[in-house]
Amino acid sequence: MNWLAQQLDNLAWMAHGGAVYVFAAMAIVCALAVVFTHNVVRMAFWLILCLAATAGLFFSLNADFVGAAQLLIYVGGTLVLLIFGVMLTASGPFLQMRTKPGEMVLGGVVGLALLGLLLSSALAVRWGERSPVLASEVVGAGFNPVAEGNTTRELGLKFLGASSRDLKTGRGELSAGYLLPFEIVSVHLLVVLIGAAYLARTKRRKQPADSSGDSRSAALSA
Amino acid sequence: MPAPSPLGSTLSSLLMIAWLLPLCGFAVEIFGGYWGSRKSKAAAYLAVACIAIAFVCSLSALVLWGNATGWSALGHHAAAGAEHAGAAHAGSANAGSAVHGPFSDTLYTLARFGNLRVAIDYYIDSLTLVMFTMVTFIATCIHLFAMGYMSDELTEQYEDHQVHVRHGHFHRPGRFYRFFAFLSLFCFSMLGLVLAGNIFMVFVFWELVGVCSYFLIGFYIERKSASTAANKAFIMNRVGDFGFLIGLMILWTHFGTFQFTSRVEHDGTQTAGLFQMLRDDHGHLTLTESGRNVVLSSGFETHGDAHEAHAHPGPEAGHGEAGHEAGHEAAEAEGHVLATEARTIPYYLLIAAGLGIFAGCVGKSAQFPLQTWLPDAMEGPTPVSALVHSATMVAAGVYLVGRFYPMFTPEVLLTIAYVGCITAFLAATIAVVATDIKKVLAYSTISQLGYMMLGLGVGGWGAGLFHLVTHAFFKSLMFLASGSVIHGCHHVQEMPQMGGLRKKMPITAIAMLVGVIAIAGLAIPGTPIAFSGYHSKDAVVASALTFSELNPTHFLLFYIPLAGAGITAFYMFRLWFYTFAGEPRDAHVFEHAHESPPVMTGPLIVLSLLAAFCAVGGEHGPLFGLLTASEPATIPHELVAAAPSGLTLPTHGAIADRHARAGMYALVIASLGAFLAWVFYGARWVSPADVQRQFSGLHRFLVEKWRFDELYDTLFMRPVHVVSAFVAGIDKRVFDGLLHWLAGATVAVSRWDRLFDEQVIDGAVNWTAKTVYTGGASLRGLQTGRLRQYVMFIVLGIVGIWVLAQMLIS
Amino acid sequence: MNPELSTAAPADLNLYLFVAAVLFVSGIVCMATKRNGIGVLMGVELVLNGANLNFIAFGRFTKLGIDGHVLSLFVIVLAAAEAAIALAIALNFYNNHLSIDVDRADSLSG
Repeated sequence: MNWLAQQLDNLAWMAHGGAVYVFAAMAIVCALAVVFTHNVVRMAFWLILCLAATAGLFFSLNADFVGAAQLLIYVGGTLVLLIFGVMLTASGPFLQMRTKPGEMVLGGVVGLALLGLLLSSALAVRWGERSPVLASEVVGAGFNPVAEGNTTRELGLKFLGASSRDLKTGRGELSAGYLLPFEIVSVHLLVVLIGAAYLARTKRRKQPADSSGDSRSAALSA
Repeated sequence: MPAPSPLGSTLSSLLMIAWLLPLCGFAVEIFGGYWGSRKSKAAAYLAVACIAIAFVCSLSALVLWGNATGWSALGHHAAAGAEHAGAAHAGSANAGSAVHGPFSDTLYTLARFGNLRVAIDYYIDSLTLVMFTMVTFIATCIHLFAMGYMSDELTEQYEDHQVHVRHGHFHRPGRFYRFFAFLSLFCFSMLGLVLAGNIFMVFVFWELVGVCSYFLIGFYIERKSASTAANKAFIMNRVGDFGFLIGLMILWTHFGTFQFTSRVEHDGTQTAGLFQMLRDDHGHLTLTESGRNVVLSSGFETHGDAHEAHAHPGPEAGHGEAGHEAGHEAAEAEGHVLATEARTIPYYLLIAAGLGIFAGCVGKSAQFPLQTWLPDAMEGPTPVSALVHSATMVAAGVYLVGRFYPMFTPEVLLTIAYVGCITAFLAATIAVVATDIKKVLAYSTISQLGYMMLGLGVGGWGAGLFHLVTHAFFKSLMFLASGSVIHGCHHVQEMPQMGGLRKKMPITAIAMLVGVIAIAGLAIPGTPIAFSGYHSKDAVVASALTFSELNPTHFLLFYIPLAGAGITAFYMFRLWFYTFAGEPRDAHVFEHAHESPPVMTGPLIVLSLLAAFCAVGGEHGPLFGLLTASEPATIPHELVAAAPSGLTLPTHGAIADRHARAGMYALVIASLGAFLAWVFYGARWVSPADVQRQFSGLHRFLVEKWRFDELYDTLFMRPVHVVSAFVAGIDKRVFDGLLHWLAGATVAVSRWDRLFDEQVIDGAVNWTAKTVYTGGASLRGLQTGRLRQYVMFIVLGIVGIWVLAQMLIS
Repeated sequence: MNPELSTAAPADLNLYLFVAAVLFVSGIVCMATKRNGIGVLMGVELVLNGANLNFIAFGRFTKLGIDGHVLSLFVIVLAAAEAAIALAIALNFYNNHLSIDVDRADSLSG
């Protein structure tokens, strides 16, 4: 039993370690697929896979709440919204709008240049050596929700303007929290929802009533 | 000296009414053209009422004064004339001064500038009263006369026959009211001049009568001759007034006051006047030891002190300083005097001040060499000539000399005498050949004014002013008579067109004859039958004779006036014979001649009575007595030579001794003149035309008025014209040239500046704008509006920055 | 959990940074090359995901800790909002131009 548990633990660890690479590879592949696919519907599909792989990477980093939120909001919400958009706009010729090969090449070259820039910057830093603080003090002794992957409670406290460490030490002082940004973001979301509804609905209502709107926009585009 | 007494205040109130009434009249009359019809005589009635009431006031003031003094002036002088005791005279004068001495006070203080006090003062003595009565009386007569004379103007459409416009004569609305308004203003000014108690006020009213004269000479302003004459009169007077101003400045600088006589202020302190500062009670100047300066007393000595100090008014006025100084010190010790040290005035400046004041008188009284304006002033209406330019205003110069007598040094008096002498002779000779009836009278006026000046100058103070008053009567009479003639002959003034008019206008002829006899100075010797001119001219000639005998170097001062007296008789009778005697020369004029209405002849009759009898009694008569009651103490009582000048001024006694002799000379000469006139123009034994031919050069010289106008033209006008032309040339050539050159240079610079502006500055601005525009237009291509390109740009930008940073770091 | 295991990283930080960079660049390239408006939007999502991955990775391997999670949550929320707005815009654009070709949205070209 003990052995089995040990083996399972090892296996889980190995699986865990291997899964990271799998997720990483999957995310990269799917992202590239999004770039190179021309069909919008397929792009959406590859994007879903990419985002899901990213969620897996989140889990591997013990970010259980964020990973869940990624799955729920992105994969379950935002992408559904995207697909709605695709289906509402995708008709015949627009489904596949090819870009010119020259543009693709140009984009590729520029993208590679940017990639090189980012990677060289990131890899140029020796994280452990340069700043020991960065690596050594991440995981402290005792209760460590981040390391244990149980971040929900901690996040909730953060949003309220506190942290579990403050509560535990009982100094009565609270570190800086995110209550105000949280509120701002929530109001922001509300505004966005109303605005989106307005934007999406007004034209639809006006178009049959006002035929001159079309010619005006045509003139504008011309 | 004169404490405000009840008599003084009564007199001043009466004279003030007399003085201000014409001003009120003027203020109303000047609007006559707006308030009433131009055909209404209301303005004339108002003016006559004002001046008549003024006359009544003046006369009552004179009577009041006479009653208060018990008419002592009349009796007194008779006694003084007999005794001639200097000390007694001085004593009685002092004793009487409280009663009839000058009353002086301030009516209204206009302004005060430091020590300078500008006020309306009055100064009333018997001279003032006589002048007031004389001026208001003559003015009343002339106002009445003018109501008839100016009746032509009572119309809406006055036709001026002497002004020619394109279609016939010039037409204008009548100016009856304006004439009387100016007459009233003149009366106000003249009375103010007589009443004035300080030299500043004299100057103000001096200018006021001048401006009235200007208005009245230029009454027919549309006539070129009239406006020119008005300008000439005004400008000639300015020349004299320039001297007047200089005199005023000297007096102010050294005396610090303008008032004539001392006055008690309201707080009880006395302020000294000019006369008290310069002269002591005996009329002597006080010289400093060097003899170059005159000490100005502060005028505060009490009478007692003064008498002690001057117990022996020595014959040497210049050497009596010890006594004076003692008197000063005594007075100071008693605390009467506030002045710390005696002020002095240089003697030469005193002379200069006197000459300056006299220069004003020369201008106003038309004396040589400023006499040329008066004949031209006859362009004014005849009543104006009678009132302003013979009887009153021109006599103002004489009056001022008389009033200011204490301020004149013997040298100035000598100058006055010579100027008067020259004027009297010069004007008389011109009058002989004049043919315009008014011009003859004008020259006669100048000549007689010269006599007055002469009388004053040779020390005959009473004689000069006596002649002033009598002359005012007979000359206004003659002017009115000539006005009557002119009116009757429908504005013909040339004597050669008249003749035989006595049949047509007998009253005028008789009145004129009275005037002529008066001015000629005819009398029946040994009887009291003598017209006023005889007495006054006698007095003047007697003074001149005395003076010339006392100062033999100045003998001309007697002989020339004596000759002048003969010439006067000649030309006056010539005028009468020419106009009224003989046969008519111009039938047309004679046909239409007519006697004037009663409103004109009435004044003639009244004036002829006065002209004949006002001087009754001569120098023992009432008029002379009244005048000399206020004689300044300057008139010496002993025959002594005045200190710096060496001149001996005659005393009353000396004059009286020679009076009979002088009178005889004058009468003989005058009779001779009158006889000659009869020979030439009455009996016509000798043809004047023959004599004219005989002396054609002299005749032309006289007709051209001694060529004074030409002389002034050459002396002043031409040089001024030449200088003006030269200056104008400079102006045109140099200054205008400079300006033109500057303008040209400015234009050139501007042109260059414009080029610079357009090429360089505008070029720079345009280039900048064009560059920016081109750059914008070219950069515009970057704004493709394509989303994907922007993304590319962003990425390229980041990469570029990074590469750049890497290059910089390494 | 095993302390050694937990302290030792399952994978190097560089791995995550690499993946995040690839995602980011893919998103950029996607935005730069896709003519379809929806495709551009998908590129944006990829960019945001790359950024998120960085936040979480640094939260795990550095002192950033739980704050990185909070930031990534904000990003997710804002991405959702952005997607909603962007889709609304895309619909409007489609209504006006009957197309979702971003190359035709060049009214702002100079």
